[in-house]
Amino acid sequence: MINKTGSRDAHAGIARPDDDPAGASINGPAAAAIADLERRFGDPWDPGNPTGHAAVLAADEAGEMLAAGEQLLDGYRLNAEFVPPELGGRLARLDHLIEVMRVVFRHDPCLGLGYGAGSLVPAVNVWAAGDARQRRRMAEVLLAGGRAVSGYHELAHGNDFARAEFSALPGDDGRLRLNGRKEVIANARRAEAMVIFARTSAAPGSRSHSQLFVEKADLPAGAPVHLPRFHSAGMRGVQLGGLEFRDCPIPADAVLGAPGLGMETALRSFQVTRTALPAMTAGILETGLEVAARFADERVLYGRSLAGMPHIRSILADAFTDLLICDCLGTVTARSVHLLPGETSLYASAAKYFVATLLMDATYALSRVLGAQFYIRDGGYGIFQKHLRDLAPAGFGHTARVACLSTVLPQLPRLARKGWLDDAQPPAGVFHLGADLPPLPFERLSVSSGGRDSLSASLSAALGSSELDGELRRLVLVIAAEQADLQRECAALPPGDLTVAARPEALRLAARYAAVLAAIACVNIWLHNQERHDAFLSDPRWAVAALGRIAERVGRDSGQRPRHVTERLSAEVLSRRRDRRGFGLSNRRLPG
Amino acid sequence: MKVTDLLIDTGRVDLDGFDRALGDPTDPAASLSFARSAELDRDERFPADICRELDRMGLPRLYVPAEFGGALTRYDELVAALRAVARRDLTVAIGHGKTFLGGVCMWLAGRPEQARELGADIIAGAPVSWGLTERGHGSDLLAGEMTATPEPGGFRVHGEKWMINNATRGTLLCLLVRTRPEGGPRGFSLLLADKRRLPADRWRPLPKVPTHGIRGADISGIALDDCPFPADALIGEQGAGLEIVLKALQLTRTACTALSLGAADQAVRLAEEFAARRELYGRRLIELPHVRCVLGEAYAALYAAEIVSVLAARSVHTLPEEMTVISAVAKSYVPTRVDELIAACGELLGARAFLTEVHEHGAFQKLERDHRVVGIFDGSTFVNQQVLINHFPVLARGHQEGTADEEAVGRAADLSAPPPPARLDRLSLLARGGCSFTQSLHTASGELRAWACAGEAPARVAELAEELTHSCDRLHRELALCPPASQDVQPEAFALARRYEQCFAGAAALRVWLHNHTPGEDPLWLEAVLTYVLRSVRPPGRPTGGEVFDRLFDARAAGRPAAPPTSVVIS
Repeated sequence: MINKTGSRDAHAGIARPDDDPAGASINGPAAAAIADLERRFGDPWDPGNPTGHAAVLAADEAGEMLAAGEQLLDGYRLNAEFVPPELGGRLARLDHLIEVMRVVFRHDPCLGLGYGAGSLVPAVNVWAAGDARQRRRMAEVLLAGGRAVSGYHELAHGNDFARAEFSALPGDDGRLRLNGRKEVIANARRAEAMVIFARTSAAPGSRSHSQLFVEKADLPAGAPVHLPRFHSAGMRGVQLGGLEFRDCPIPADAVLGAPGLGMETALRSFQVTRTALPAMTAGILETGLEVAARFADERVLYGRSLAGMPHIRSILADAFTDLLICDCLGTVTARSVHLLPGETSLYASAAKYFVATLLMDATYALSRVLGAQFYIRDGGYGIFQKHLRDLAPAGFGHTARVACLSTVLPQLPRLARKGWLDDAQPPAGVFHLGADLPPLPFERLSVSSGGRDSLSASLSAALGSSELDGELRRLVLVIAAEQADLQRECAALPPGDLTVAARPEALRLAARYAAVLAAIACVNIWLHNQERHDAFLSDPRWAVAALGRIAERVGRDSGQRPRHVTERLSAEVLSRRRDRRGFGLSNRRLPG
Repeated sequence: MKVTDLLIDTGRVDLDGFDRALGDPTDPAASLSFARSAELDRDERFPADICRELDRMGLPRLYVPAEFGGALTRYDELVAALRAVARRDLTVAIGHGKTFLGGVCMWLAGRPEQARELGADIIAGAPVSWGLTERGHGSDLLAGEMTATPEPGGFRVHGEKWMINNATRGTLLCLLVRTRPEGGPRGFSLLLADKRRLPADRWRPLPKVPTHGIRGADISGIALDDCPFPADALIGEQGAGLEIVLKALQLTRTACTALSLGAADQAVRLAEEFAARRELYGRRLIELPHVRCVLGEAYAALYAAEIVSVLAARSVHTLPEEMTVISAVAKSYVPTRVDELIAACGELLGARAFLTEVHEHGAFQKLERDHRVVGIFDGSTFVNQQVLINHFPVLARGHQEGTADEEAVGRAADLSAPPPPARLDRLSLLARGGCSFTQSLHTASGELRAWACAGEAPARVAELAEELTHSCDRLHRELALCPPASQDVQPEAFALARRYEQCFAGAAALRVWLHNHTPGEDPLWLEAVLTYVLRSVRPPGRPTGGEVFDRLFDARAAGRPAAPPTSVVIS
């Protein structure tokens, strides 16, 4: 067996413009739909493009949504991506949804949140818990081009939904009465449908809240009262508002699912959205990488191109590696929602934490490549600072990172004592990019993994592969050592560390678990997609870089990264930029 | 606010009075309030009235050395004053403090009467700007294209300076111009542009550049169109421009770290107050162990940053020959650590670090955007690390030979005594003997061990100091092996530079404790800072516990003394 990580020409195997693995992870109609969306957006660098960077920046400066972008997405019928096929939409696969929304985020994160994610989150709650009427109505609103919003957030309570004060208690006429306010809601003023988290029983505990599906059309005139807009440092175009209800009657059948299951419905639905949102947001890092690579190519400093400086090249390589890690973890988690729905509570929260962290760290590192140009809001690279500002909600929005760790943490001791001893492997389809998937099993999502974690078991299986050798095998062994340490430490966790009052070291175990999961996703994506005729994807060097970065992040000695690995990755970044290709696993050709 | 007397004047620098006069930024009636700053930032308007207020307090005098009529005799006082302003509003500190940067070349190289004249202008309230950078060349000063052609009676200057703080507001600008067509190290000179005297049709301001942060600041430029300059506009010798600038940067980079300290003071305060008030999961946020640890570590980071900043400022007085290294370390280390600190505090604040109107008028998101400029201007982090990398051979040699000036290190670190007068004529582009702070770590950790043996310090703190000393020795052996800096500096060299900076910070912290501690004082802050720096210095695979950050936070919360003497008490 040839050592695949042996020294090779750094430029060997770089995809040539004519060998196009486009749609590598997505085939058939979905690939055509994404190509169609790309065509509609066109070349972002064309200053005359009404949805290009210049127009996106102008809308951001004005604090408005990009009107041409909203029309474009209307024309594309983006909302259909959020509706399951049996209700007339295109939401058949989470990995496709992510790929579509990632295109939107790459061009304008405000559209991604304000047009996309804003409607997706409430919709998923209806798919997961709504009855036939509620599901049909939500589908009708969205397919007609309407917007949905979710009202979870109350500024005074943050991620602590159990303290939500907003109430929906029965009135004398049997109808529910809404009282309270929900804050920092994208599109609050434009919403035709709302999913609201409300207290439906005065009793303490976790069974006192429900989610309500409310249509604007069913509300009495004058309700709700709209709170003034919240202005923000990023996502400036998104209208963040608030809703206030005062003794507002709504139909009694507004409750989603059985009364009192609001928390459970949210926790199950969030598995889909915690998986999807950060993975979509990776579009921001993709644009950041493109801007930084463009700058490096164009800038001459001390008589030479920035792109020729090893230090700059290594930063580009690192950010690209982080993007690939996000892609691997995001894709594997998304495919797990279909194939391992019972285990997703674990994976979704871990992925949300880890992907968001990597996106923010990598974008910060890239901002330093741009130097003073990063600080300028107009000109050739002004789009960068907008994307950087727009990235912030990835950290605190839709469940803060630390809250995600708190979801993972209590599951770890049981896994350490039982689940991780089980060698049951996940279906190989979890790692096969583009392979068919069963429909989204909303009803099978569960609030706990029940002590099962088959993705973690796939690390030892990967080690058993004869494909794995050289530097990559060495690094997988480093990750395996980390996994063994984790098991030991998690098994010893005292009960006091499983609550919100966990010690930082205990929370860190959840973060380390997420890192190991990411490494498992990377090595298995590499192992299971060798037949894909994508020279870059088959080259082990990206996986070597990925596992090295992950090992470093958890504080393990990953050894010095071979220089040819860095060279291979930085050369790929620069050539993809020049050839107008995306930086993700899919390596798609872009317009322009 | 009433100011009857100058708080800052020649021979009398009342920093406490100055800080009191600046007031409480949470009070909308204060002249530097979060409310007012948010409004100006939103409208992208220069804080002109606030700057006039600072003028009335006498702050410009601190930008002028006493020998030229001002109040500047101590660079640590300059750092303290800028930090006090930055703690309220970074845009104001950057907009006002720029005048110091604009004047430095003159203090270093100008003729005495020329310098006194500029000093008088500054004291009278004239903003002075510093025109180094040009479009498309970034930090590459040798690529500068603004050209001054000698002609009878003076020069004719043509070209543009761009991304210049106060280029439009400034009455005067110190310009770096090419005086030899072929350029090169001796091909540039400095000219003082006095807009009051330049022919109005030969220069024009360039439009304000819209920026990510410091949105109200005047970041613009100036275009000169064959503009005549008198011969006496020349600062220093013709051809000496670059050398003067590189020495001036040693002072300005040191002073700029004060901006980071102000931002860090404010960030930690905003996060801590929020955590103390916020109810989550039935308890206050500040009771959650991970929150206490984040805040405790933020304090350790702040202490490390302020110690580096303050000792760098005092080293201008005691170790001018080493300032090229010390200023590069300070300018690289302090803004980077504070960027991290801000990110950690921002995570605690969540949505309140994002919204521009809630929570102290959105002060946090403003300081976060504003602060990002500190790591960029006046030599970016990478530029400063490059300076450090260029010094690896002399650092390694000096460390081996042990040429440290221990007495000078002690005088820099003993905060109870004023430093000796600054000897700016001894600034140098090459620190031939390396760096005394890191070289004298052996002595310092030996002294701490002696205190530990005497029961004045826990043994574990002495162990941390010894570990740092050994790490620093090992690092210097690696520096010796690092190939001499060429154009192809490898990423590994930057990693060594980052480790060096942490060793420097640890050495400086140790010195501050040794030279200032009082009998019976718990060296908790030192333990926290050493733990914090060792975290980045230790080889991977050796995790660093965070338990000391918890203790640090508890001590602070309980009101026990747990801060180094470089800290400021925020009322």
